[in-house]
Order: sequence, then structure tokens, then C-alpha cells
Amino acid sequence: MGEYALLYILFAPFAGALALIFVSNRQPLLVRSIASSAAFVSLMASLYIFYTYDPVKGGFQFVQKFEWSKQLGISLYLGVDGIGTPLVLASSILLFAGIFVSWHIKDRTKEFYIWLLILAAATIGVFMSLDLFFLYFFYEMSVIPMYLLLGMWGSHTKNYLEMTDPEGLKRRDSVGFILNFGSNSKEYAAMKLVLFLSAFAVVALMGILLIYKYAGLNTFDILVLREQAKLMNIPVLGTTLDKIIWMLIFFGFASIAPLWPLHSWSPVGHAAAPAATSMLHAGVLMKLGHFSIIRVAFEILPDTTRELMPIAAVLCMFSIIYGGFVAFYAKDTKYVIGYSSSSHMGYVFLGMAALNYISLSGAVIYMFAHAMATGMLFAMAGWVYDQTHSRDIPSLGGLANKMPFISACFIVACMASIGMPGTVNFIAEIMIVVGSWNKYPLQVIVAMLGIVLTLAYLFKMMRGLFYGPMNQKYSHAHDAISTVDRLPLLIMIAISIGFGIFPMHLYDVVRSGVDPLVARITRVVPVAQTGEGIAPRSEVIVPGTTSKTPIVANKLVPLPAEASRGERE
Amino acid sequence: MTFSLNMSFSDLLLLLPEIFLTCWLCVVLIVDFSSPRLPKERLAYLSVAGLLGTLVCLVWFDFNQITGTLFGNMFVLDRMAIFFKVFILGSTILVILASIEYVNRFTLFRGEYYVLVVMSALGMMFMASANDLLSVFVSLEFSTLGFYILVSYLRDDLASNEAGLKFFILGVFAAGLFAYGISLVYGETGKLVFSEMASAQATPGLIIGFLLIFAALGFKIGAVPFHAWIPDTYHGAPTPVTAFLSIAPKGAALAILLRIFLVALGSFKPIWVYLLVAVSIVSMTYGNIVAIAQRNVKRLLAYSGIAQIGNVLIGLAAGTKMGSDAILFYLLAYLFANIGAFAVVIAVSHAIGRDEIEDYRGLNRRSPFLAFAMLLFLLSLAGVPPLAGFIGKLYIFIAAIKEGLYTLIAVGLINIVISMYYYLIVVKQMYINEPIDPSPIGISGPMKAVIYVGLAGTLVIGIYPQPFTDWVVAATLMFADFIVPSATAIPPSLPLGV
Repeated sequence: MGEYALLYILFAPFAGALALIFVSNRQPLLVRSIASSAAFVSLMASLYIFYTYDPVKGGFQFVQKFEWSKQLGISLYLGVDGIGTPLVLASSILLFAGIFVSWHIKDRTKEFYIWLLILAAATIGVFMSLDLFFLYFFYEMSVIPMYLLLGMWGSHTKNYLEMTDPEGLKRRDSVGFILNFGSNSKEYAAMKLVLFLSAFAVVALMGILLIYKYAGLNTFDILVLREQAKLMNIPVLGTTLDKIIWMLIFFGFASIAPLWPLHSWSPVGHAAAPAATSMLHAGVLMKLGHFSIIRVAFEILPDTTRELMPIAAVLCMFSIIYGGFVAFYAKDTKYVIGYSSSSHMGYVFLGMAALNYISLSGAVIYMFAHAMATGMLFAMAGWVYDQTHSRDIPSLGGLANKMPFISACFIVACMASIGMPGTVNFIAEIMIVVGSWNKYPLQVIVAMLGIVLTLAYLFKMMRGLFYGPMNQKYSHAHDAISTVDRLPLLIMIAISIGFGIFPMHLYDVVRSGVDPLVARITRVVPVAQTGEGIAPRSEVIVPGTTSKTPIVANKLVPLPAEASRGERE
Repeated sequence: MTFSLNMSFSDLLLLLPEIFLTCWLCVVLIVDFSSPRLPKERLAYLSVAGLLGTLVCLVWFDFNQITGTLFGNMFVLDRMAIFFKVFILGSTILVILASIEYVNRFTLFRGEYYVLVVMSALGMMFMASANDLLSVFVSLEFSTLGFYILVSYLRDDLASNEAGLKFFILGVFAAGLFAYGISLVYGETGKLVFSEMASAQATPGLIIGFLLIFAALGFKIGAVPFHAWIPDTYHGAPTPVTAFLSIAPKGAALAILLRIFLVALGSFKPIWVYLLVAVSIVSMTYGNIVAIAQRNVKRLLAYSGIAQIGNVLIGLAAGTKMGSDAILFYLLAYLFANIGAFAVVIAVSHAIGRDEIEDYRGLNRRSPFLAFAMLLFLLSLAGVPPLAGFIGKLYIFIAAIKEGLYTLIAVGLINIVISMYYYLIVVKQMYINEPIDPSPIGISGPMKAVIYVGLAGTLVIGIYPQPFTDWVVAATLMFADFIVPSATAIPPSLPLGV
């Protein structure tokens, strides 16, 4: 352990996938135990790094560097900071939970677990890459397993995509359906997902290649690039190069996030995917977008970020409201959760756009919190679907009698998703809202409305699924009784509530990652805190500032947004 | 140009691989005639043994850095020639192993098949070493001769005959263009050796001459607009021959293209870069878009091959040493993925008897190994990490972006997405659709070996490319002398555009 913890986290799932190739499908128990032990190693190692990550020291820890290609300047450079650490933890929790959620898969079990492990490992790889090449490498690698997982074990979305409002009018997500050719098959969903994500991934790759070229350092090392790359003020095509690169990177990665006009692949993909895949997909795959934007655009182009991030602030409103309304009218359980995820990802963009310590930390914590909440919701939607073979909310009902445990967990998951005090989502939401208020009051109001909407559609779905008269067709449905079925839900609930009550370590870790980043972007140094917590940054030398003395934002409560605005003007 | 015939034995050492292979070829032919009862697989293994011997000899040359020129600079053995010879021999070995099962179905001329394959390989080895226009012409025609026969090997199959005829007529036409191009270039410069042409002036005759030569070589590699023969020939030819045709001649022709563009025409880069950019964009886009409409796997791979050549030409358009490294690396990745994909096609069509895409329905249920191998090969061709094709594509893009070819890279990146669509359609048939006839598909031993080699190559190059990049960088060191320094320097800023 110790130094090599990141290698364990990353390579345990790969090793598990490799081992599974040599196991026969006729031994399902062996297959499942190999998969779950690989995930367990990964989970333990990520708990280890989460708790031994030193927030006082900050920066990138557990760094591992292996030269990979001299000619191209690539090395396998792994390391986590305060932003990567919780996301790595979230991925490995969801992988571990996902393996138990899909315990009952009968068809080609071995292949399912192989692709699931590869998907999770690739996702984890992005969160710990400190090399632009490997960031893209793992990012693109995580897309292909989705195709097979959706296509082979997914379910058709049939007529569920049609949505009806209370007056009986048919509605549809017309923005999301621009590229929908009317097909509801899982093959269509899988193909759309892969092509959409790949198309935007190559946009980001173009940005990465431009960074590589114009930095002229012959390296993909993010830490070297952020210190030495001089990408500012190069006039190109009537604008400057850094803006072009920033736009390429931002929209390239925002597609997976998914930011509003680029969201159309996401709910279809969620709906078609098997439960465990939806969990990983909504729980961590979507965070790859935010994370990559933070890691690439924020780190390497801080000044451009400050200039252009208002774009995200505008689009995130549409994300929140649009996703919320579509989720309200949707009839398909997974569709509701999928749109709710894409709506909630708008909060993360809001937190990122406000660019201050509180809101960005809130955004990172929200990514972690949302992973747990949405993971639970998808796991339970998957359970209901397995029992009833239906995701059509109007035809379901009264399942609380049949599955008391699931419906109890569902209430908890809804509470978490709404951001009830006591869950970690609450902390994240309140941080985003408080942090962004000064800079983007309109967006904060919209976000509040979004919370109300969340309440509306989640309760509507809960009522539709678990209460009211029961459809006798589903009288054979039963509850999650065995430990294997209950374990994943209990883990996610425990994490969600545990961090909701004791958030300090999570908060410290995240702040230690966010602070230097925001200091670079806004050129304002955080206020020294008293007691334990963040140690004062002694000095941040920003090229361009005349004095070497750090500018201290505010004496009392850190509201650096104000100060940053003042500093800019 | 004077020929000195007082060659010493040590000079002949440079020709040792070719001499050895020629003798071995005769031995195979004699064995075939003298013992007609011998099972023909033995001949295949005999040829493979000879090719392996040659390969070992070349590897030994490479380790000891034995290089030199012969026949007044007509024949050159440098490390790039060694690389391409290894490439050609490697693909020939894999093709022979993949064709054993297929050839056993022939009724006649089974022994000659192997002889012809080895003969073509021999011709291509000379192509890799050709250093002047005449030896290029002679070796090109020598290697193509074998292919003319191989393509129409299925005598009773009309498609195969049509393929052979198309290939022959267009091939001869290309040869005519080539010869005319040589005469124009010789008339303008009075030189035939590439390295001596470097100081030539850009006269119209010279430009037209080189355009004709490029057209003839473009025919060999199947770049648009010289691709018209590719789909029908690939479709009609016996599948192992298609596999051979899709790899080895492309490699050999690219060796010549590299020598022509980087050595002979190094100083004309500002002129030819537009030609290559245009051909590359058109090849990639045309190949990928037309591939979407294909219903036959061999035709699909044919069009994907056209698109892949467009990608390779990005590296050539970069016109730097790094560009040539990238081409060599890309070819390695392409070799393993393409030969593997064709091996799967051969195995499946051996069992089913057809090679339409819909025949791959539920291949995952019928043979998980074949389906998984095909998946990895197709994804490598599409350029998905962590497979070899991804590193190859990225290497080429990096080489090109250092030269500021933004448009070309943008088109290349978009084409990755387009190509992913039709590769995934095959994947969908294999993995998602259920089979109509769920009987398992068996694979013969040699075929399994070929697929394993393809898988190993695809994965190892993708996961740990360092030894291979070292190899290709060492192989193209000679170009460092010829490339105009201004072309390789990184300018502080370049306007967007070509």
C-alpha cells in the first residue's frame, strides 16, 4: 500500500478483467467473486488514499510517474489532489456497489463484469491522470465499454420516451431529440452515446493537441504545462488562441457532463443501460466532463477561464430548468432519474462558473454527493425493473407493500437527491448556492427553483411507484431480502448520510484542492483560517502582478468573488 | 551512372536476404514438383521457414547496423529498408499461415500458391530497397506480377476473374504512367537516383513527371482518386490474398513514397504539401463515408483501408522525420489489426461460406474468441485506446500539428468518429444481435496462431509502445540529413489554415 495505492486502485479492476478472461461462464460464482474482489481491492485502496490524503500539505499526493514514450513526451503520471480524491473514492464505491447490483445477471455474466470493470477502471484513470495524453486515453477508453454494456445487457426504451403532461398533452424533449431519428432501440441508444461522446472527445483532443503544439515543450505533463506554457495573447482568426483552445476543451468535455444543448445522448443512454451501468454512467462517467474541464481548462488556462466561464453560468440555467421539467413529464423511471442527473449537473456548472472557494468546493462535493444519490436511485429503478419488467410509472404502483426495504431506501435516496439536511448533498448544495450568490444571483434563484422541481418529480415518481393502488400484474414482485441485494444500497446510504453528518474531512480535502486552483484563476489568495483546516498559503506568485505580496481577499468571511471582481477592475 | 561489376563478397552480403529467399523459393518449387503426394500444408510451413530465416537474417543486420548501397546506388540497404523488409516478411508469414485452410479447398495449383506469395514478397523486398526510379519500376512490376495471378486464383469464380482483370488492366495502366513519369523526370534532370535529384529545379516537366509517378504509387496504396480498383478486387480475390494485398504492397509503396518525397523532393515541400493534403482529406473522407454503406465485410475493410491510407498520408504531408516515424509506426499498428481482422474474416467464411456483415450475427455466441478478436482489431483500426491504432493515429496527428496542418488534423479527427460508426455496426452484429444458427465455429491451429499474433501486436503496441517508437525512430534516421531545417523548426506562431 502506501505509495502505490493509486496503482492498486487503477490496476485492480484491469487485473480482475484480465483474470476473468480465463474463467468459464459456467462458474458464475467464481466470476462474481473475482469481480467483487477486484472491486474490493480498489475500494479499500481508495478509502486508504481518501483518509491518508493530507489536506494540510495539499497538492498532488501519491504521485507515480513512469516514462511511457520519450519521443512523444508522454508518461503515465498519476496523482490525486483534493478534487480527484473524492471522485476516485466515489468511482470505486459505485463500482463495488454496481457489482452487487448486477449480481443476478445470467446472460454472459463474465463478459458483463469484464466490461464493467474496464469501464470503472478507465473512469478512475481519468480522475488520477496528470498527463493530458493519459487523461484523454482513459476518457476515450471509458466510452467503448458503454456501447457493449448498453447493447448487450440493456433494454429497449420502447414507448417510454413519450411524455405526457397532466392534461394529457404529449410532450417531448425537443432539444434533446434534434438528433433522434425516432428509434427507441437500445442499439440506437448505444450508438448515439458512443458517437456523440467520441465526436466531442475529438474536439477536446484538438484542444489538447493545440496546447501541446503551442506550448512547444514536447510534453503532455499537466503540471509542466500549467507552469510553463505560454498560450496567452496569440492572435488567431480574429480572436486569441487561448480562447479557441478553451472553447474546444470546454465544449469537448462538457458534452459528457452533460451541459444543456449537448445532453441528448445522456437520458436515452441511461434508460437503455442496465442498472449497474446507469449507476456508473450517471454517478461518475458524467463527472469526467466537469473534472476534465477543471483539470485541463482551469489548470492550464486560468486567465481564459476567468474570462469565459460565464458561458457555463448561462447554459447551466437551461440545464437545471430544462432537465427538471422534462423529468417532471417523463413516464419512465430511468428517464426521470436520467434527466434529473442532467439537471443536477447544472448545479456543478454553476459552482464551477462562480469561481470562488466556496462554490467550487461545493461543486466538487456535489459531484461526490450526486454520485451516491443517483447511484441509489438507479440501483432501485433497476431492482423495480428486474421485478416487474416495466419502467412505465403510470402502470406501476403500490409496490411499497411488496418491497418495504426498497421503498424505504427510495425515500432516503430522494431525500439525498433533493438535498435534505443530514445528507452530503445538502452541504454541497448550500455551498454552491452561498458561494455563487454574489456573482450570479439569477442563477441561484433558478437553482432554487430546480430544487423545488426535483422535489416535485422525485415525489411524483415515488408515489407512482410505491404508493397508490397496486397493479395485480406485479403481485409476484418481491423485496431485496438477501445481503447481496441490500449491501450496495446500504453502503451508498451510509456514505451519503455519513458524510452529511461528518463532512469535515471531505471538506478539508476538497478545499485543499480547490484553493490553489481558485487562487490561480482569480489571483486572490484565500484567507488564512484559524485552527485546523487549511494552512495559509504563504505566497502565490502570479506572473503579471506587480507586487509579490499576496492579495488577501477579505478579513472575515471568505467571499473572494467580490474581491476578485474588484481586483479585475 | 556507371556500373562496376567488380563486386566483392562483402557487397553481396547486403543482398543476402534476397539471395537466400530466391534460393528457398526455388527449393519450394522443386519440392512441389518432385513430390506431388506431399500434403500441401508442408509447403506452406516450408515457405514460412524460409521467410523466417530471411527475417532472422534481417534482424541480425539491424542489430549489427549493416547498411550500404549496391549497383551504383540502385539498391540501398539502410535501416528503413530493413524495417520495411521485416514488415513485408512479417505480413507474408502471417498471410501464409492464414491461408493454409483456405488453400486446401482449391482443387488445383495449391503448391504454386505459396510460391507466388513468396515471389511477390521478394519483389516487395526489392521495392523497400529501391533507391532509383528504374529499380523502383522493375521491383514494382515484379511484385505485381505475382499478385495478378493470385487475385484471380479462384478460376471458376466469376468475381475473382473480374477482380483479376480489373486489377490487371488498371495495374498495367499505372505501370505505363510510371514509365512515362520516369522518362519525363530523367529527361529533365538526367538523374535517376533519388538522393542525386535533391538539387533539381522545379520545371514543369519534372512536376508532371513526379505527378505521374505519384499517381502510379497512389494506385498501389489505393489513395483516392486512384482507388477505383480496390473494392472490387478486394471483394473478388481469395480472402488471404486480399489480406496480403491490403498490407504488404501498401507498405512497400510507402517506402518508395517516403524516399521520393523526403529525399528526392525534400526541397519542394511547399509545393507538394498541398497535393498530399488534398489527397489525404479526400481519401479519408471518401473511404469512411462509403464504408458506411457496405454490406460485405471485405468491401468494408477495403474502404476502411482507403481511409487508413488517407491517415498515413497525413504523416507524409507533415514531411518531417517525425512524420515518417509516425508513418512507420502506424503501418505496424495497421499490420496487426488488419491482418487479424482478415484472419477472422477467413475463419468465419470458412465456417459459414459467406462474408456479408449480417453473417456475423451473434458471433459472440458462436465463437467468443473470434468475436473478441474482431472487436479489438476493428477498434484498433478505428483508433480507440488502449489499442495500437490509437497510438498510431495520435503519433501522426502530433507529427502533423507540429507542422501546423490544422485543417488536415481536424478532418482526420472527424473521420475517426465516422469510422467508429461502421466498425461499431459490425460489433453490433457480433455482440448484440442473436445468431440465427447458434452452432459453434471452430478455428484451425495456424489461424489461431495468426489471430493471437495480431492480438498480441495490437495490445502490446498500444500499451507499451516505447520499443516500437525507438525502432521506427532509428529506422528513419537517414531522413534527418535531407529534410530542410526550416520545415522542422517549430515556429512561435502560425496562422490557422493548411
